[in-house]
Amino acid sequence: MIREYGTVLRREGLKWARVPIWVASYFVVPILYLVLFGQAFDLGKLFPSGVGGSTYVRGALLGAPDYFSYFAVGMVAFVTLTAALYSGTGILFDKQLGIHQRMIATPAPRGTLFAGSLTFRSFSAAWPAFLALGIALAFTRVPGLVGLSTRPSVTAVGVAEIVGAEAMLAVMFTALFLSFGYVLNTNEAYFGITSLLNLPILFTSNAMFPEGTMPGWLQTVTAYNPASMATNVMRQNLFVTSGYPYPPTVYLLGLLAWATCLVSIGLYLSARSLRDR
Amino acid sequence: MTEAIVTEGLGKTFPGGVDAVGSVDLSVAQGEIYGFLGPNGAGKTTLISMLTTLLRPSRGRAEVEGIDVVRHPEQVRRRIGLVFQRSTADDTLTGRENLEILAGLHGLSPRAARPRIEEVLARLDLAGAAERRVGTYSGGMRRRLEIAAGIVHDPSLLFLDEPTLGLDPQGRAGFWAYVRELCAKEGTTIFLTTHYLDEADHLSDRISILDHGRVLRTGTPAALKEALGSDMVLVRPADRTVDLRPILRTIPGVVLAEPGGPDGGVRVRVTRAESFVPSIVRACDAARVELAAVSTVKPSLDEVFLAVTGREYREEAEPNHLAGVPDRGPGRSGGRR
Repeated sequence: MIREYGTVLRREGLKWARVPIWVASYFVVPILYLVLFGQAFDLGKLFPSGVGGSTYVRGALLGAPDYFSYFAVGMVAFVTLTAALYSGTGILFDKQLGIHQRMIATPAPRGTLFAGSLTFRSFSAAWPAFLALGIALAFTRVPGLVGLSTRPSVTAVGVAEIVGAEAMLAVMFTALFLSFGYVLNTNEAYFGITSLLNLPILFTSNAMFPEGTMPGWLQTVTAYNPASMATNVMRQNLFVTSGYPYPPTVYLLGLLAWATCLVSIGLYLSARSLRDR
Repeated sequence: MTEAIVTEGLGKTFPGGVDAVGSVDLSVAQGEIYGFLGPNGAGKTTLISMLTTLLRPSRGRAEVEGIDVVRHPEQVRRRIGLVFQRSTADDTLTGRENLEILAGLHGLSPRAARPRIEEVLARLDLAGAAERRVGTYSGGMRRRLEIAAGIVHDPSLLFLDEPTLGLDPQGRAGFWAYVRELCAKEGTTIFLTTHYLDEADHLSDRISILDHGRVLRTGTPAALKEALGSDMVLVRPADRTVDLRPILRTIPGVVLAEPGGPDGGVRVRVTRAESFVPSIVRACDAARVELAAVSTVKPSLDEVFLAVTGREYREEAEPNHLAGVPDRGPGRSGGRR
C-alpha cells in the first residue's frame, strides 16, 4: 500500500514539474494579488487619522495594524482556496484521457489513489500560502510598498499553530475539490460547481473583509467558515489575541472537525466512483 | 486442462434496462489465445470490463484463474493485464516513467521493475524512445507503449481490446509475432477482441462470435469456416458461350451453381472444394465441354462472421468503459454517474 501511495505521489510530482507555467503561477499569483489588490485597496484610509482612528482601525481589523496586514493573512485562505480549486481537474482529465481507467485496472488499493493525490495537491495548495506570507513580510523592506507588520514576538507554538491551521485548510479544500473530480465527468460540470463555491466560500469568511462590516446573519455564517477559523488562528498569533471570542486552539479544533468531515466525504465519493459498477 | 476464464450466465443490464450482455457462458483454457468477435455494440467491451473487474456483472458469475471477479477483484487485477483500445499513457511523462508508474501501482519495487521495464521496452522496440515524452510518440509507438503497459507486471492472463487498431502492417505483423511468442514461451493466456478478422484467424486457437450480448458460435477458426459449408469451386469453360450450370447441378453434393463473371465462369458452392474437383472435371468431360480453368476458394472468417451476424450496419450501443470515455451508461447524458 505504501509503495502504491508513493507511486501516486511521484506521478503527481512529475506531472507538476513538467508544466513550468503551472509552477510559475504558484509564485506569480500571490505576488500579483499582494501588489495590485493589497497595495491599492487600503481600507484603513477610509477611517479618520490620528490615535482614535488608529484604534478604530485596529479594532475593526481584529488587531491588524493596517488593512494590508489584515489582507495579507487573508491571502493565505484565498491562495489556498484558489490552488485547491483546480485539484480535481487532474482527476477529470485523467478520466477523459483514459489514464484513470488504466490506474483503476491495477490492483492498487483505491484509497491510495485518493490519498496520494490528496497529499500532493494539499501540499501544492499550502506552500504558495506561506510564500504569500513571506512576500508580504518582505514588502516591509521595499520602499514605497506597504508590508505585513506583525507583533515583535511570534512564538514557536504560534508558528506551529499557523502551520497546522494552514495545513488543515489546504487538506479540506483539496479533499472537497478532488472529490468533485472523481464524481463529475464533464469539464463544464466541474467548473460550474467550482465557480459556484469559490466566491461564497471566500466572501462568507473574514479573509478579505472584517466581520464588523458584515450584517448580523453573515457574521454568524462567517464564524463557522473554515477560512475564517484559519485566519483567526493566524491573526491571533501574528497580531493580538484580544478581540476574538475563542483562543486559537478552539479554532484549530473547528478546523480539525471540518477537515475530518470533508476528507471523509472525499474518501466516500472517490471510493464510490472508483468502485466497479 | 486448467481454465483461465470461466463464465456462467454472465450478463450486464445497464440502468434503463439496456441488456449489453445477455447471458454468456465461456471457458478459456490456460495458455490459449481466445478471439472474441462481434459487430459494434455486440457487448465485447462490456464483457471484457466485467472480466477485468471494471464493471460489476448484473447476473451470473465469472472466475479468472479460479478467482471470483466480484468477490476478489483486487486478486484478479494482480493476475491480469489489459491493453486498452486507445492510448492510456500520460503524454507529459516519458515512456519509461509511464511504465515505472504502472509497475509501482502493481506493487513492484523499483529494483524488480527496472529489468522488466528494460525487457518490455526492448521487445516492443521502444528502448530508443524510452526517455522521450509520450506526447512526441507516433501512433504506432503509442500503441506499442500501450501493449507494454499491459504486460509490464508480467500478467498470466492478458486482455487485448482491439490491440492493433491504428497500427501499420509492419506494426501488426510485429505484434502478432510478439503475442504468439508470449503465449508459447511464457504460457500467457490471451483474450483478444478485434475487428480485424484476419488477425483473429491468424492468432486465435478458438474464436467466439458475440452479437446482441449472446455468444452465437464458438470453435476453432477452421471449424467455424468448415461449419459454414461453403467452399467454392470456380469453373471456367474454354468457350465462354457454354452454360456449365445444367452440367454442374447434376453432380451430387453441389449446393449452388451460379454465374461467376463475364468470362462464362460458374461458381459452385460445395462442402469440401478439393474433393469435388475430380467430379466436376469428369462431368464436363462426359458432356464434352473443354475447361479453361478450375480453382478452389476457401471461405474466410469474414464470410463466417457476416453469415452469423448479418450484413446490416451497427451503431455503437454499449458504453465503452475501456476507452477512457466517461461512463454514463446507455440512455443517460448527465454530468454525473
